[in-house]
Amino acid sequence: MVASPVGVPVDLVVVGAPARPGWGTTLGRFIRRKPLGAAGGAITAIMLVTAVLAPWLQTHDPIATDATYTLGRPNAEHWLGTDHLGRDIYSRIVHGAWVSLLVGVGSTLMGSVLGGIIGLLSAYVGGKTDLITQRLLDTLQGLPLLVLALVMSASLGPSVRNVIIAISIPIIPRAARVIRASVLSIREMQYIEAARALGVRHLRTAFRHILPNTVGPFIVLCTAQLGSAILVEATLSFLGMGIPEPYPSWGRMLSVSAAEYAQKAPHLVLFPGIAISLAVFGSNLLGDALRDTLDPRLRGSR
Amino acid sequence: MKSYVAQRLGIAILTLVGMSIVIFTLLRLAPGDIVDILFSTAGYVNESEKQAILKELGMDRPYWIQYLDWMRQILTGDLGKSYRYDVPAWEVIRPLVPVTIELAVLSIIVAVVLGVPTGVISAVRQDTTLDYVLRVLSLAGLSMPSFWLGMVIILGMVSWLGWIPPLTYVKPTENFRAHAIQFALPALAVGYRSSALIMRITRSSLLEVMREDYIRTAWAKGQAERVVIWHHALKNAILPVVTVIGIEFAFLIGGLVVTETVFNLPGVARFLVQAILWRDYPIVQNLVMFIAIVVILSNLFVDMLYGVLDPRVRYGG
Amino acid sequence: MSRRRATISFVVVSLALVIAFGTPAISQTPKAGGTLNITQREDLPQGFAIHETSTISTVWPAMPCLNNLVLFDPLKKTESLDTIIGELAEKWSWQDSYRNLVLFLRKGVKWHDGQPFTSKDVKYTFDMLREAPDAPAKLRINPRKDWYTNVQTIEAPDPHTVIFHLKRPQPSLLMMLASGYTPVYAAHVPPANYRTACIGTGPFKLKEWRKGEFVEFVKNPDYFVKGRPYLDGLKYIVIAERGTRTAALQSGAVDVAFPGETTKTAAEQLKKAVPELAVTPYSQNVNDNIIMNMKKPPFNNAKVRLAVSRAIDRRALVQAVHQGGAVVGASMAPKPHGFWGLLDRDLNALPGYGKPADEKPRAKQLLAEAGVTPQNPLKVELVTRAIAVYVDMASFVINELKQIGIEASLKQIETAQWHATATRGDYQIGANLTGIGPDDPDANYFENYACGSPRNYSFYCDEQVMKMIEQQSQELDPKKRFAQVAALQKKLEDDAARPLLDWKLDYFVHRPFVKNLIPHQSIYNFGRMQEVWRDK
Repeated sequence: MVASPVGVPVDLVVVGAPARPGWGTTLGRFIRRKPLGAAGGAITAIMLVTAVLAPWLQTHDPIATDATYTLGRPNAEHWLGTDHLGRDIYSRIVHGAWVSLLVGVGSTLMGSVLGGIIGLLSAYVGGKTDLITQRLLDTLQGLPLLVLALVMSASLGPSVRNVIIAISIPIIPRAARVIRASVLSIREMQYIEAARALGVRHLRTAFRHILPNTVGPFIVLCTAQLGSAILVEATLSFLGMGIPEPYPSWGRMLSVSAAEYAQKAPHLVLFPGIAISLAVFGSNLLGDALRDTLDPRLRGSR
Repeated sequence: MKSYVAQRLGIAILTLVGMSIVIFTLLRLAPGDIVDILFSTAGYVNESEKQAILKELGMDRPYWIQYLDWMRQILTGDLGKSYRYDVPAWEVIRPLVPVTIELAVLSIIVAVVLGVPTGVISAVRQDTTLDYVLRVLSLAGLSMPSFWLGMVIILGMVSWLGWIPPLTYVKPTENFRAHAIQFALPALAVGYRSSALIMRITRSSLLEVMREDYIRTAWAKGQAERVVIWHHALKNAILPVVTVIGIEFAFLIGGLVVTETVFNLPGVARFLVQAILWRDYPIVQNLVMFIAIVVILSNLFVDMLYGVLDPRVRYGG
Repeated sequence: MSRRRATISFVVVSLALVIAFGTPAISQTPKAGGTLNITQREDLPQGFAIHETSTISTVWPAMPCLNNLVLFDPLKKTESLDTIIGELAEKWSWQDSYRNLVLFLRKGVKWHDGQPFTSKDVKYTFDMLREAPDAPAKLRINPRKDWYTNVQTIEAPDPHTVIFHLKRPQPSLLMMLASGYTPVYAAHVPPANYRTACIGTGPFKLKEWRKGEFVEFVKNPDYFVKGRPYLDGLKYIVIAERGTRTAALQSGAVDVAFPGETTKTAAEQLKKAVPELAVTPYSQNVNDNIIMNMKKPPFNNAKVRLAVSRAIDRRALVQAVHQGGAVVGASMAPKPHGFWGLLDRDLNALPGYGKPADEKPRAKQLLAEAGVTPQNPLKVELVTRAIAVYVDMASFVINELKQIGIEASLKQIETAQWHATATRGDYQIGANLTGIGPDDPDANYFENYACGSPRNYSFYCDEQVMKMIEQQSQELDPKKRFAQVAALQKKLEDDAARPLLDWKLDYFVHRPFVKNLIPHQSIYNFGRMQEVWRDK
């Protein structure tokens, strides 16, 4: 997937797989070798498409209430039934995909990019800067992701933007660790030494030569974090500290009234829960497969 | 080894100090404070009364004095008074700790009992249908939000059995059976989730070990499969598993929020959410520090365990 | 005139003769013993300090350990001057045509710590509440000070007599005194202590409060009413998650629901699953309303306010947001749930209460007159508290406003900020809930509509209305007062002062063996638990 910039066999670099001819064949081989990963990719792709096409896939306005059909069972008009205000569950789930994806991808990217840059610079500069950065990151990482996200979202106040920030902050140290480790291993490699010896300026070295080689671990990291970011968003929203109304968030759909009316309208609890589980399941499957393919050394890390 | 531990502890203390600053700052950034909440339960606001309460709670002092005061309290072992409850914070926190620790330990036990054997089977039968089924089942556990799983369990029980586990903490000395049931269900729900991580790491690390020469040699020598896997391979594959167990335990201490909420268990995490909503700084700050200490200690413990399990590891610089 | 006064005196005298343990209406003989598990929706916000809060979360679990001077009869559904019985006051009498209220206190009553209860405690409590200049103690938060603005002095001539001297006649003072919000504190205990413990005279003594988990009470063996309470103990279990709460009621893990928290649909569902459950619908005395900031455009324009009021289909809201579990009414709880409710005919004539097909065009016309047209639409930010019941209502309102061309975006305010936002007027329009202690105009209008009251979130201030409020308060003829209150209700809705949308009903659920726990016409006044017994 990533070609080595100066022609060093990729096998030596962190990216484990040999260079491949083209996208089509690569994909084909991926599906054959990693059927579960391919299934995960398909689920993730479906979610992506759903999220983007939500306004066209909806059958009702996801916010519009309908006093005449509250807690309605699924039927031809409301495919997944209605909630306690008569809002269409299907349309809300479709739009919820957008919210989940926005928060999931947004926070993962933000956290991973920020963390990645910190990790890259910290490893490249080394010395005291690296040490101090590591200690600072320890501080952020000493807390479970959910606890930090809870405190963050309380201090920022509930809004989509703030939830993205709240979830991205705990990702930073994790991303920084992974990227730092891979940079450290690349830094010692011959071609970097060679580049340095030739007097290529530091920053240029960092970006031209090292950065491309961290793409593999970076992708793995992002897919691995995506699932947990979606879960944290759902959890925060469930606790009433995440996405505010009227955005139809899956976690929010499960809070307050869903469990209360579960006997009469089990679809209130079932469908949003299944939606969250499927989305996370898909990204986990894909993440696992990508990890095996791109970076065997990262197995087991979160 | 001794100097290594001392060094690690030094770093740990530094980390904790950093974290205390982070938490202290984040809480002060949050909109609203305890006095706003107190007035909101009364349905009105009065500025001069508000100032009086801020003074009463010592919240009118500059932030840095409040911070130093907190540090002084920690060092003297007195955690200050809860703003909301008007009693020593320690008195509020103390009964919560054993509940969460017990739930986390039980969940980890469930996770290991479920995760390690399935991981081994999955590795040995790599790329068979059984492997796929086990992996999908375990990943499914990792993908379900734990509050949803808990909710479904509670709702299922009440619909089919007309019964739910006890709603207040039952001491094991009081009624062991009720106590066991109270913890078994949430531990199963949480343990199922954690088992996915343990299964994954067991599988992959076993696969890696099995590719190594000495295992191949053992195969070649014709030793029984059981002996090779359980004796040679697993022993060497266990290190990453231990790490994940440590990480997961630390995660659970703070990550049980929703499980404790849904099962109505009076633990640390559930209380933390309430304390955050109430802006009860003394409780939030000290609970977060408690969680941080557990995280750091369990990381340290895992590292120590490495030395015991793997003699190749040397502690140094 | 004199004849009427004589009639009133007669009523008052006979009232005074009614004693706390008057004959229960139920024929079954109560059994003593047993305990009850009772739902508590959140941990006690300020312990047992009822005087420092205005929330059912405090009143409900703190009532059993305290007593009032007088109380609405726990065995009767209705709350009125006729159903008030004595608690710490054995008898009482109005003198000088409702200017002086003389209360004769019960003798031999002891606080839970063994100290005797005297008139000193009563004077102490009410001087503290009304913030008398010479009050010996001060509450740090005092939400109901306005209830006592009419009290001139309080006199305690002897240990068992207390006299409230009023500035002007106010028969409704007794209604306030009979609310669950009005317990007597002990003079020898600092008010702050009620936040952590409960030294009361009540039927139950505090045994343990495990923070965030439960509050447990045991029977007070020295209670001044002989043979009460029937129960040996009470346990209020904190269950924050609504789904778990419903499951707990269904499974029998709790015997009694939390007042105001069971919706019609939830009650129906519970009843279907467990047919023997007792379900009692009653008025919470809590209403949904729209607050509009009259200090700022566009809502300083009465036409725009009226357009908003006319835009909202109240009956559809009752169906959609409360699944039928609410009643349309004006600023006093509607009949049959409340005493002061307008007649249907008058109610339907109010702006916004007619047919939606008529109301919506009129709303649009009003907007057009105010200069709002499709080319020049009105965009506003609608605030509400970030709690589901508020947000659900706000979502509905936004949908209605959209139909007349007002584009409202929803802004949720965290509980910590909500009252500050409303009190300071940092908003344009808001969806709000208002709970009123006893079903009485004095308890409502001074607090929510009087000029300068901190809870008058709309900043509505009308001289004529102020006069009407004070006039009805001192009116001694019940019929005349009723007519005055009706006129007041009409005037407030015509001005769109704080458009009322509906009054919520609660579907109180308990196990069939719980006896004598009778919901009143307000959630705040029936938690004493003195008469409750367990038939099992």
